[in-house]
Amino acid sequence: MKIKSVTDLVAKKKVGLQKILPGKPRIAVGLATCGIAVGGDRVYERLKEIIDKDRLDITLTKVGCIGYCKEEPLVNITIPGKPLVILHKVDESDAEEIIRSVQNGGVPYDRALCQVPAWDHVTGCVMDYGKGFDRIPLYDNIPFFQHQKKVILRDAGLINPEDIDEYIAIGGYFSAIKALTGMDPDSIIEEVEKSGLRGRGGAGFPTGLKWRITRDVKADKKYIICNADEGDPGAYMNRNEMESDPHMLIEGMIIGAFAMGAAEGLIYIRAEYPLAIKRLTLAIEQAREYGLLGKDIFSTGFLFDIRIATGAGAFVCGESTALVASIEGRTGRPHPRPPRLTDIGGGLFGYPTDLNNVETWCNIPVIISNGSGWYATIGARGNTGTKVFSLVGKVDRVGLVEVPLGTTLSTIVSDIGNGGANNRKVKAVQTGGPSGGCIPFRLFDTPVDFESLNKAGSIMGSGGIVVMDEDTDMVDIARYFINFATGESCGKCVPCREGLKHALLLLNRIMAKKGTKQDLETLALLSDTIVATSLCGLGQTAPNPVLTTLAYFRDEYDALVKP
Amino acid sequence: MDEKTLDIIISRYEAPAGRLLGIMGEIQNQEGYIPRETLEILSVKLEVPLSQLYGLATFYSFFSLKPVGDHVITVCMGTACHVKGAVKILKALEEMLGIKSEASEDGKFSITTEDKKFTLEIARCFGACSMAPVLRVDGNLYGYATPENLPGILAEYGWERHEN
Amino acid sequence: MTHEEVSSMGTAAKLVTVTINGKKYGADEDEILLSVAVREKIAIPHLCYEASLDPYGACRLCMVEVVRHGKREMVTSCTTRVTDGLEVVTDGPEVVKHRSILFELYLAEAPKSEVIKAMAARYGVTKTRFLKKIDTTDSLGNKCILCGLCVRACNELMGAGAIGFVNRGPYTVVNTPYFEASRDCLGCGACVKVCPTNAVEMEDQKNERIMKSWSNTRVPLAQCDCCGRYYAPKALAATILARVTPSLKEEIARCCPECRGKLIAKKEILAKTGGAR
Repeated sequence: MKIKSVTDLVAKKKVGLQKILPGKPRIAVGLATCGIAVGGDRVYERLKEIIDKDRLDITLTKVGCIGYCKEEPLVNITIPGKPLVILHKVDESDAEEIIRSVQNGGVPYDRALCQVPAWDHVTGCVMDYGKGFDRIPLYDNIPFFQHQKKVILRDAGLINPEDIDEYIAIGGYFSAIKALTGMDPDSIIEEVEKSGLRGRGGAGFPTGLKWRITRDVKADKKYIICNADEGDPGAYMNRNEMESDPHMLIEGMIIGAFAMGAAEGLIYIRAEYPLAIKRLTLAIEQAREYGLLGKDIFSTGFLFDIRIATGAGAFVCGESTALVASIEGRTGRPHPRPPRLTDIGGGLFGYPTDLNNVETWCNIPVIISNGSGWYATIGARGNTGTKVFSLVGKVDRVGLVEVPLGTTLSTIVSDIGNGGANNRKVKAVQTGGPSGGCIPFRLFDTPVDFESLNKAGSIMGSGGIVVMDEDTDMVDIARYFINFATGESCGKCVPCREGLKHALLLLNRIMAKKGTKQDLETLALLSDTIVATSLCGLGQTAPNPVLTTLAYFRDEYDALVKP
Repeated sequence: MDEKTLDIIISRYEAPAGRLLGIMGEIQNQEGYIPRETLEILSVKLEVPLSQLYGLATFYSFFSLKPVGDHVITVCMGTACHVKGAVKILKALEEMLGIKSEASEDGKFSITTEDKKFTLEIARCFGACSMAPVLRVDGNLYGYATPENLPGILAEYGWERHEN
Repeated sequence: MTHEEVSSMGTAAKLVTVTINGKKYGADEDEILLSVAVREKIAIPHLCYEASLDPYGACRLCMVEVVRHGKREMVTSCTTRVTDGLEVVTDGPEVVKHRSILFELYLAEAPKSEVIKAMAARYGVTKTRFLKKIDTTDSLGNKCILCGLCVRACNELMGAGAIGFVNRGPYTVVNTPYFEASRDCLGCGACVKVCPTNAVEMEDQKNERIMKSWSNTRVPLAQCDCCGRYYAPKALAATILARVTPSLKEEIARCCPECRGKLIAKKEILAKTGGAR
């Protein structure tokens, strides 16, 4: 059935709500990539076996990941009239106990992490689960969740990402219908501009402005692209966004395509994410089936469809011109700008092209549903909204963390992450992947926003925060990143291709305790030249891990070199 | 790869966007590498110079021009894995498989054991950082790897310790 | 709109004035800064620029400083198009500092290149702090700096696609697929001609041209029916002749360009003199 009107959408919403709250117990297993890897699939299979065997009146479903990776596998239980309960560290041997408890209207208390009496899906749907289970702590009192604000991850781990009805149930696609039938392209762009949304891929360019530039170019054809080539090591928020809530991305792209006048959209996704590719493919098919993609969407005459283009393992393809080259079937070697992607002749196959990161697109539906005014109150001035970070490395509570921009590093690392793992002292964090830098503990009152991180010598990047503790060797970290960047350099320009290689050779020598003070100076000079003269962002930022560790942890270098 | 299979793959990619990498990705997935004859036939069928296809095959790390072993072990070298000991995992695997990693001429890290049972590779990041260090054997991810739990993992794939 | 487009439309390009190192020069609006400098004989080192190809921006040696809103900004002059009032400094301290390091990198990358040594020396760089790359098996004699001109000439100008970049990052090289003789090579030698460091080598041996740098690709040469010398690669001659309209008569087409001229002249004389012998 094609959805043509709000009435149609409301009808589907009812169907979806029936699936989320089926009037009988529902068990949902967190099955994103990491949940599967730690045994979530075995838990699911075992539960299914028991339910099937005894033909129990229990709904079993898959959901994405709520982000508390340390506690995986996670399982949610909803019993009619009772709060949703999140179980943690579940393994298949717990399955029978879970089923037994559920049949008795309860949950296994020793596996319960927390309870959620009601959940705000932000896009106009508050799910009232119910009250009870007083012994189980409230979600809001769990330190890992307490300081977070879920806007992008509002549905992650709570709805079935493989079922479009559940997305519609929590208010999904209502923003798309609002935008396409009730707003004109200019007012949509104005809303995005007023929201203050900045690109979540790392550079922080104002999204509304990019959209306006694309809209204003006169061309027969335009493309929009979603950059899902999440290449920063240590960053996996985009993977989770696509695996847990793929329709959120599709809805954002539909709205953007309408605003900019594009009929074709592409999602460029890295080959390392097979599950995300699978779920997105399925989501696109479901959206086509419902008429949300294709011809005459919502009877407006608007035509738009999305295709997936897979990458093949090249970090540099996150750079916009290299990404486009890659989609066109060429090697990902950046070209100098201008022309920019939005220019005639500069984008995909020469057509003006708008490129936004996964998370940027994911911000669009809530901006349209709740308004730019609401959105702009979240976060800090000039840095509105929330950002999802992957808090990993030597931190106690690893996981995906969503906080308003402007939250300090110390809130993220100490309050949410509970400091170092195994009671080790935290020494620094590395943000922004290979383009970022290391920020020492003493600067942890730095608010996490685009400008403050730059001031500290690092960058926001796509949102990876890798924690280093007192045992981490910072020179080794610098060497690690230079090794990474050297291997990922496309090889087109000499400072990046040759400069990084020699920086790596110097670091190898220093780490082998064969380096001299002179080598350190050469390393610093070379780093400056790579920054100043490289053709694209990869080279221009690749020395940042060296420059920041030289600035903040010089003593570790000095201890390694001969005078 | 026979021509018919290749034709079926090609037919799935009508639009030019994402076509070449998509087709080559499917060849890689099905064969475990990109055979030379297949690349040459592809060049003729798509009217793309072989030099361009060869350039793609050597530029992108996902593609391999050499056949791989029965099981491919990929160690994640992401930042989180690195700080949690990925190098130790790699060294332990080299020792277990009796192979030595050296930089190859093409810059790709891929070594196959003499009996062609295992191929050891590295990846930049799987995006499974929460359970670092991580490795993948064929399609399956294994988190929280330690040198101690590796023998158990590899045993699932027919690995046995050879006493030297 | 680009300079080329404006010109091709027959509209005269707007004349603008740019200041380079304090001196004023006239230029067409949107002209490439490096081409202005080359014309005016202002020394800006460069390796990957070729007027007949799109700006590439790979060698980074042509970086200069432009003054925008009172601030100096480093840009590559091969990718910068001039606008009226543009202010350029080619030898500011920042440029000199970074350029010197780039020259050191080139000296390490192509240690056997006399061109690089001479160019670096002109800018005061005679030795490098970086480890020199010496590869005795390098078919480009440790002279290649990966400017990409040969690849682009082969692909974009000749449409042959015989050579390409192989691998990436510091492992990048230029060669034929699988490092074996190419079936696509026309033997035109454009790669030899455009190479700024004289790294690409070819040699004609009797009836064959050997592209020594490209996996010893052997290309048969066409022999002139008249004088008997081998004058051009067969495939290249065929490609060129196929483009000539109206096509040449068989007997003329099988001669070298020199004999062809003579033959045509002779025929014309014959025609005018009525064919009397």
